[in-house]
Amino acid sequence: MRPALVRTAPALRPFGLAAAAIGIEFARVLAMRRMPVPGALAGGGALLLLAAGTPASRLGLEPGRLGPRLLGTCALAAVLLLPAAVRWTGQPPLTGWFAVAAVVVAAGEEIAFRGVLFAALEDALGPAAAVAGSALAWTAAHAMAHPAAFLPAVLAAGLLLGLWRLAVRDLAAPIAAHALADLAL
Amino acid sequence: MNRRRLLLLAALAAGAYVVAAWTVAPGFFDGFAPPQPYRWLNPPAGVKNAGTPASGSAQFKVAANGQVDPGTVFTGEDQPQASLSVIPGAFQPPSDRSSVTVSIRPAASYPAPSGLQCVTNVYLVTSTSPLVKDALITLRFSDAVPAPSDVYRAPESGGGWTKIGNSGASAPFYISTRTTSLGYFAGCFPGEAGKTASGVRVGGSQTLPVIAALAILLVLVGGIPLAMLRRRGATEEGEEGPNPTRTGGRP
Repeated sequence: MRPALVRTAPALRPFGLAAAAIGIEFARVLAMRRMPVPGALAGGGALLLLAAGTPASRLGLEPGRLGPRLLGTCALAAVLLLPAAVRWTGQPPLTGWFAVAAVVVAAGEEIAFRGVLFAALEDALGPAAAVAGSALAWTAAHAMAHPAAFLPAVLAAGLLLGLWRLAVRDLAAPIAAHALADLAL
Repeated sequence: MNRRRLLLLAALAAGAYVVAAWTVAPGFFDGFAPPQPYRWLNPPAGVKNAGTPASGSAQFKVAANGQVDPGTVFTGEDQPQASLSVIPGAFQPPSDRSSVTVSIRPAASYPAPSGLQCVTNVYLVTSTSPLVKDALITLRFSDAVPAPSDVYRAPESGGGWTKIGNSGASAPFYISTRTTSLGYFAGCFPGEAGKTASGVRVGGSQTLPVIAALAILLVLVGGIPLAMLRRRGATEEGEEGPNPTRTGGRP
């Protein structure tokens, strides 16, 4: 059964989805201040639920294209990691349950923002709005957890991942690269 | 918009990301809140100091059963740089049943940590009654220096530093361990003092540079053959003319 939010009018659907995804992200950040791992797992899981009823092909997750997806993962991860890698001072990567939570959050964010929201924006307003709108909503979702100085980098990363999604019609590489970046940083 | 133009825009976005990310501290924390800038008593060379580190203190009452209450004492930063947590009965109850006061303060003078590279402030933790059970000491460390391998302790009365271990992080940029006595605490790793942060990698992980380098290598090694195959495929298709099965025309 398709959730009520997915059944709403196509023109309104992106706004409802954006509000829901940003609300979940804010709630996740608040929850993580008291219970880091359970808060992250619950928030990431809630973001994943936004995709309920959406076909994998609409999310850019249909099977196949392993080679380009692997290369895309490497290319996107290289870009996301490069500024930190060249100034690296040896922090340990996330491990254990923190690592699991980081992967769930990365997948949840990509599927919510560049999967479901991207598709709804593209249907309602076109591809340019899909890239810009999903990146802006993703940046807004990070406003609570990050100081303002970090937000331009978040916006640029959102545009990069959204453009990949549009150009290659693929979300697997952004999910994998995002998860790698969260794990390593 | 064709795919080539989209990929060009993606390259521009990648450049914008690198520039924007370069202006802030390394990290892409995604809700695992980035650490506040560390407050150093004596910052390492080349590391910005966010201010003076705070002290903290707390009083633990003696309960009706004669045990000193459990609790935690933090230093005063929004993200405390040092804390001590105790279980019920961790302190010897004073004979007059008065509260036990526990203090944590950054120490300017302490026994020299010979053969160690300390990458946190040194904190002096004291109490008005002796510790009789284990307590959990937690120290935050900066994202601008190598991560410490262990927590080290030195007695307040003087003496050398002892490794007391690392029981794992409760959150990124924190190190914790259990201690049986109080005194001076710091996060350190074995190494020569006086080296610059950028020159010391002993205590840290090299995971990130390795992942980034591997990703770049895979793109170069895998991308070039893939591009050649695609170009060859496109050339052959052009030489053979339109493929009727692909264009939907009749054979």
